[in-house]
Amino acid sequence: MIYISIIIGCILGAIIGMNAPVISYTYSSYLAIAIIAALDTVFGGITSVLNKNFDLKIFLSGFFGNAILSIALTYLGERLNVDIYLAAVVVFVGRMFTNLAIIRRHYVDKWTNKFEQMSLKMKEVNATEKKEAK
Amino acid sequence: MKEKNIAIMLGIMCFLLTVGICIQMKTVTSNAFRMGKTYAENELRNNVLKWKEKYDVAYEKLETKEARLEKLRETASTSSESSENIKSELEKNNMALGYTEVIGKGITITLKDGENVSNRLDVASSLVHDADLIEVINALKNAGAEAISINGERIVDKTAITCAGNIIKINNEKVGVPFVINAIGLPEKLYGALKMQGGYISKLKEDGVFVEITQQNSITIPKYNGVYKFQYAKVAE
Repeated sequence: MIYISIIIGCILGAIIGMNAPVISYTYSSYLAIAIIAALDTVFGGITSVLNKNFDLKIFLSGFFGNAILSIALTYLGERLNVDIYLAAVVVFVGRMFTNLAIIRRHYVDKWTNKFEQMSLKMKEVNATEKKEAK
Repeated sequence: MKEKNIAIMLGIMCFLLTVGICIQMKTVTSNAFRMGKTYAENELRNNVLKWKEKYDVAYEKLETKEARLEKLRETASTSSESSENIKSELEKNNMALGYTEVIGKGITITLKDGENVSNRLDVASSLVHDADLIEVINALKNAGAEAISINGERIVDKTAITCAGNIIKINNEKVGVPFVINAIGLPEKLYGALKMQGGYISKLKEDGVFVEITQQNSITIPKYNGVYKFQYAKVAE
């Protein structure tokens, strides 16, 4: 359900984004940092769904708060001639990897449990078949 | 119900995300073209510098060859006593053509664009134009200057002084302000000719051009770097 809606959103976004106008180059660095923040939020959202502690308020406030803070940092860095946005990128990408690890573990555990159960069932079936054969 | 809400929320988020990514990608690719343009410009600039270096090397070679030619001429002329006259004649001709560096007393004129131009009606008149240089040189020649140079460019009879935007071209070399005109001749005569009432220098000063004239005891004027070519003119019988 969640993944289907994500895929639909991505496809719709790609179609509309292809026809969207080009923004001026000066603002593209801000958009880039906002994209990284949004990516981080999406991964965080999927993780919280898997952990069953998803909260819409936290999700939305996290998205806008992160994006605005990172854009403000980029602006400040431009004024001070320091690439502060790199710090935001490092933090967001680091969190993305952490969230991805959590998601991966969740599904790996799920599938290994499934396989184990299947193999257990198979063993039981085999055992009963052998008993019946005897 | 709750899962549905979450799914819709995440879908909207992903939608915004992909829109942003697409716009960003388009912006970056459209600006890569602009970057390529500056890259091409840099390449051209590099090429110009390379060619200039090549030119300098070639010119140095030419100079050494010329020095050798001079030596050969000297040995050729000194080998026989009768050719002593020819040698002096040759030297004289070379001097007249501007092919030798000359030294002597004379005057130095510095022309600069006027500075406080704000209170003038015609700002352009306080700049140094090609015509101003031509007039000054004409006046110097009239006063009997034997050799003239502007910013190291020897003025010979083939010299053209033309305007090329905000610079002036002399002997096809670019020359900019301040213009330092060196002239060899009797300093008092040259000075007097330029300072004459109603002369061109006084007109320049009225227009707001910065003019400075100093008499010198010893001025060195470089030689002419060009070549005399006669393609259509022939010696008449």
